[in-house]
Amino acid sequence: MAVDRREAALPTAPPAVGVGVAEEASAGAPVAQASLWKDAWYRYIRNKAAVAAALVFIIMVLYCLIIPGFWKIPGIWTSLKGYDPNDVDFTQSYAGFSLDHPFSTDKFGRDLFARTAVGGQISIAIGFAATFFILVIGVVYGSISGFAGGKLDNAMMRFLDALYGLPYLPFAIITLAIIGSQNFMAMVIALTIASWFTAARIVRGQVITLKENDYVRAAKAVGARWYRILARHLLPNTLGVLIIAIFLELPGVFLGEAFLSFIGLGINPPTASWGSMAQDGREAYRLHPEVLFIPCLAIATLVMCANFIADGMRDSLDPRTRETG
Amino acid sequence: MTTFIIRRVVWTIPVILLVILMTFLLMKQIKGNPFRHTERNVPAAIQHNLEVKFHLDRPWYVQYAYYVKGVFTLDLGPSMTQRSRSVRDIVSDGFPRSLKLGLLAYLWAIVFGVPAGILAALKPNSIFDYFAMLFSSIGFALPSFFVATLLIYYVSVKAGLVPTSGWPSGFWSLDSRVILPSFALGLFPMAYFARLVRGAMLETMQQDYVRTAKAKGLRYRRVIGLHVLRNSLIPAVTATAPLLGLIITGTFVIEFIFSIPGIGRYFINSVSNRDYSVVLGITVLTSIIIVIANLFVDIMYGVLDPRTRESR
Repeated sequence: MAVDRREAALPTAPPAVGVGVAEEASAGAPVAQASLWKDAWYRYIRNKAAVAAALVFIIMVLYCLIIPGFWKIPGIWTSLKGYDPNDVDFTQSYAGFSLDHPFSTDKFGRDLFARTAVGGQISIAIGFAATFFILVIGVVYGSISGFAGGKLDNAMMRFLDALYGLPYLPFAIITLAIIGSQNFMAMVIALTIASWFTAARIVRGQVITLKENDYVRAAKAVGARWYRILARHLLPNTLGVLIIAIFLELPGVFLGEAFLSFIGLGINPPTASWGSMAQDGREAYRLHPEVLFIPCLAIATLVMCANFIADGMRDSLDPRTRETG
Repeated sequence: MTTFIIRRVVWTIPVILLVILMTFLLMKQIKGNPFRHTERNVPAAIQHNLEVKFHLDRPWYVQYAYYVKGVFTLDLGPSMTQRSRSVRDIVSDGFPRSLKLGLLAYLWAIVFGVPAGILAALKPNSIFDYFAMLFSSIGFALPSFFVATLLIYYVSVKAGLVPTSGWPSGFWSLDSRVILPSFALGLFPMAYFARLVRGAMLETMQQDYVRTAKAKGLRYRRVIGLHVLRNSLIPAVTATAPLLGLIITGTFVIEFIFSIPGIGRYFINSVSNRDYSVVLGITVLTSIIIVIANLFVDIMYGVLDPRTRESR
């Protein structure tokens, strides 16, 4: 969801400090970023909450991939037990927790241990794909706006201001109606279109801050073309902010997907996503609450991990914010 | 100051026009004309008359002009599926309910979120701070539909304390049915405020003027009340506008779960029924609310922090 928290949470041009020095020493040479990233890494692994969040995140992604298998690789769980996550077996309807079904089964007797993992693949894939496109659009729009400056920048930002007035969910829903189908790509497009604004603002802010640095002036003075300055000096230095932005955007996109699926406008059955599983679970949650709770807890855990990872990355890439964060 | 406000107010007009244009053009992209390609066989003459009546035979910019005129004269056209009702009827029916839900959620956030943030910042790294921040991390991560269903399950179904659904009819009437929906919706803003206020307080307390105030022997309470609180509540005011978008998004889901007949529920129903005039009307309405909230926040910001007036 388009919250300004993401902008507020970002450091203002952290990598510029470390990289700027290296850059001045050898203008035009490959950017020497090793020390900065090494520093950030050491700071990150000292942050226990962030490390734990990253571990849980990785474990969840692995669970979603390994248990049901992905692409052509067979899943551990599904081949061991011979389950297909989409197989209907009414004799096993709401079977309860057991060794055969650690997460119980749903109305159709589908094993939820496998199905939650399959749904997770879809949810996580939508999340990362939408985040990727959000960042691509954000980088293009933001760097053009920030780099050009002047009237063009002003016009582009005013346009963005107007788009900020569009409410997130209706916008995504209308986009879905335009596309006319509710598949993976439609969800990604809808979520991207509804939430790229903040990323664009972040990148613009970063580019404008970096633009004033001495090494950029120096590059201009020795006659570097604008595209070289942009590609060589400005964009690499927004990398830190972009990596943080991935984990700041992810929760919003996850929750957006879950919302849409939950109100029945998301991915069509029988394809599972965590949101659509939660919607399925809502029918019977009074008798079988686990069917609703498991996908919801999965969403919540992943969102919480992404938040902690974003916080940890911000702190490690910009130690100044640690005192107040 | 007056010029700042006037400039800012005048600026919202093109923004609103642009927002209406964007939504309008988007809606035009959805395939199908409500009076064409329907299951019923509409005679060509009637179809033509209907298109003329709703200006569908004119180019899009003329339709847009008619629509803008409609928005400013509060005439949003007829509903395409509910025969006897206009979009205006539906909006004036549902909007007060959604507004009440949103305001109550906001009230939860202010009454619990802001004090929690202040108390956490006064004793950083204390047990209270730890729990407040843990709570706020959880509030950030839990999807509101999960919170809502959890509350219905444990508070309504298991404990039987409040009804599971429904909404008091009048705008000013309150009963036990408003508690759960507004809390489920207010949890995220609450967590958000707690975190924001805590961060802002801690940052303000490191400022030089606070140190000066302490050094000149001002009592602790006065330092906090006069210098710290005033300056650290500014971010909370500014956060109102982006939060509003979230609260509107939240009402859609919460109204869906608790069967509250607000605009969010109408919106979702209209999307499934392809009632595009209602979809357009509600989207434009919520957009205008957000634009006006942004205007309000900018002006408040200008009042509270004079430095921002020049740059905007």
